[in-house]
Amino acid sequence: MTNERPQSVVASRKAAEKPRRHSRRQFLKTTGTALAAAGFGAVPLRGWAADPVNIGALYPTTGSMAQIGVGCVAAAKLAVEMINDAGGIKSLGGAKLNLILSDVQSDTTVTRTETDRLISGNKLSAIHGCFASALTLIASEVCERAKVPIITGSSSDQLNKGRTYTFTPFARASQFARAQLQMSKLVADQPKVAVIFENTAFGTSTSNGLKELAPGEGVEIVMFEPYSAGFTDASPLINKVKASGANTLFSVSYLNDLILIVRTVRQVGLNVAINGGSGGFVIPDFYKNVGKLADGLQGVAHWNHDMDDNAQKVNAEYKKRTGEFLFEYAGGLVAQTFMIADALERAASPDPQKVREALSTLDVSSGYAAMAPGGKVKFGPDGKNVYGRPVGVQWQNGDLASVFPKEDARAPLIKS
Amino acid sequence: MLETVVQAVINGLLIGGIYALVSIGVTLIFGVVKIVNFAQGEFVMIGMYISFFLATQFGIDPLLSLVVSMPTLFVLGVLIQHFLIRRVLGPNDMPQIFLTFALSLLLLNLALLLFSANYRTVHTSYSDEAIHLGGLYIPVAKLIAFVVAMALSGLLWLFLHTTDLGRAMRAASQNRDVATLMGINPNRVFAVAFGAALALAGAAGSLLMPFYSAYPFVGQVFVLMAFVAVVLGTLGNVVGALVASLMMGVAESLGIQFVGADSGLIVVFAMLLLTLAFKPSGLGGRRAR
Repeated sequence: MTNERPQSVVASRKAAEKPRRHSRRQFLKTTGTALAAAGFGAVPLRGWAADPVNIGALYPTTGSMAQIGVGCVAAAKLAVEMINDAGGIKSLGGAKLNLILSDVQSDTTVTRTETDRLISGNKLSAIHGCFASALTLIASEVCERAKVPIITGSSSDQLNKGRTYTFTPFARASQFARAQLQMSKLVADQPKVAVIFENTAFGTSTSNGLKELAPGEGVEIVMFEPYSAGFTDASPLINKVKASGANTLFSVSYLNDLILIVRTVRQVGLNVAINGGSGGFVIPDFYKNVGKLADGLQGVAHWNHDMDDNAQKVNAEYKKRTGEFLFEYAGGLVAQTFMIADALERAASPDPQKVREALSTLDVSSGYAAMAPGGKVKFGPDGKNVYGRPVGVQWQNGDLASVFPKEDARAPLIKS
Repeated sequence: MLETVVQAVINGLLIGGIYALVSIGVTLIFGVVKIVNFAQGEFVMIGMYISFFLATQFGIDPLLSLVVSMPTLFVLGVLIQHFLIRRVLGPNDMPQIFLTFALSLLLLNLALLLFSANYRTVHTSYSDEAIHLGGLYIPVAKLIAFVVAMALSGLLWLFLHTTDLGRAMRAASQNRDVATLMGINPNRVFAVAFGAALALAGAAGSLLMPFYSAYPFVGQVFVLMAFVAVVLGTLGNVVGALVASLMMGVAESLGIQFVGADSGLIVVFAMLLLTLAFKPSGLGGRRAR
């Protein structure tokens, strides 16, 4: 794989930045050596910052998934600022984190070349991204080969197979499925579920989990259908749901499809409880577009802004900056950045392999790095958080409230 | 069972009406100006954004904003024809293809820059309403869109068949050189055709707004269907495009209902392949060019 990429404005701008960063690093290195030689010892002086630690951030800030990617970038910047303001990485002489952003354009091909370019063009200690499973699967493959650790909020179970540089601190798709099934029993005595899912990596992996686990959870699936993501009209699909006799609808979809689905269900006059799962359902844009129709709708998330005190604190700051609550992916990303900082602190080195070692022994139960449902993060040999679990959420008066399981609930579930 | 089929047909016809507005525009431009307008979907997007901003800034109902979106896009069409398309008309097709394709990319990225990739929805009082007839339901917003779409198609047909300018347009589409010899000014005719096609795209945008989200890529969803409809309905044939659009809507809906929810487009493309294999000139049969 080469590090060539198509010419673009972004590329030329990034290329223009590169030499400057190098020369500054060289400058600091030379200065540091000179100072040490002059008898000040190896301890950097106040005011002379240590080499910044580069963290790659792969998010789609253009293209069909951009609205989530843009929020992720805002959250990543906030997290880096929080860490730097608190003194940076102390074991590295207070080194500041330096976020190197890359737009993967909601496109799998671009994701591959961008990840390659990011790694070969910069000395990275770790990477986080891309939230969308289809993109993350590719990025994590490239990271694996380049031996740079990647930490991600993406929930595809495939990410935990045959990879040693991929870390997933949040619940897996299969766990989301179990939570969804359990939630369906809270609103219907005998849930008859119609599962409709977009035919993407995200939709397929999530819904396969639902299908596998349903019998064990005592939930009957009466309809199980993939649909083409980005359709023009949800009516035929909902017509089919109606004919299936379901009393609960699980829709594994991104935002736009889900808006059409919810509206169409209402038009048909279909009385079903809707669980929108994760994806486009748990972001502020959903409520902005659907309005009151959203109230009472359930979903599952790997992170929610009212989970604990730390989450609420970060949420308040994010809200101040963007005007919207800190949504699942973005919130999870703040926690991930703190996990990377924790690993750097213990590795006492920016070397990506050492950071990987440190991440694999991460074990936190307090602070922002532990800001995950359940409040504990520790990675197993497959890079999966052994304590990971999703949180069940429900739209209540325009806000997303944590309602499931009991330990994580901040508001009672409203039966609609 | 029967009810499910009837409902599927209704759903298909309703969305087919929107496909028709987009495809009639494409076929009109192809028939008269003889170029393929790859940017037609982006004009639908512009129509949607016009309605969106009128609704959110001034509280104007998206359906009423037709009176703004259609003339605006008509003028835009005349300007584009005059300043851009006119320069590339000639025996070579390539510059025309590149021009409209470039226009499509330009508009798409401009929209991304100006409006971001966010989905924008207008919520009207009738957005979530439906008429219930027995077990059947007809969404109000889509029904209105369908009726207006059919009325606009009818008006276009009347215009092409009863007015001098319309006849001139059809003449120019049949034989540009002979029409010019008969005293028809092709530049004027082309400008009106391009403007009318874009006005239809604008109408499609406004009609979509009460039940569909606006976002920069929205045009690409509809333009693919439009191109299939244009080929199915015989290139340049307005009635053919209308009939083909409705058929495709129904085929898609029935496909989703009875074949599989992700097979709607497969059914549509299978229709296209079979038509091309057995009747390459399209379902319309006789060549309208």
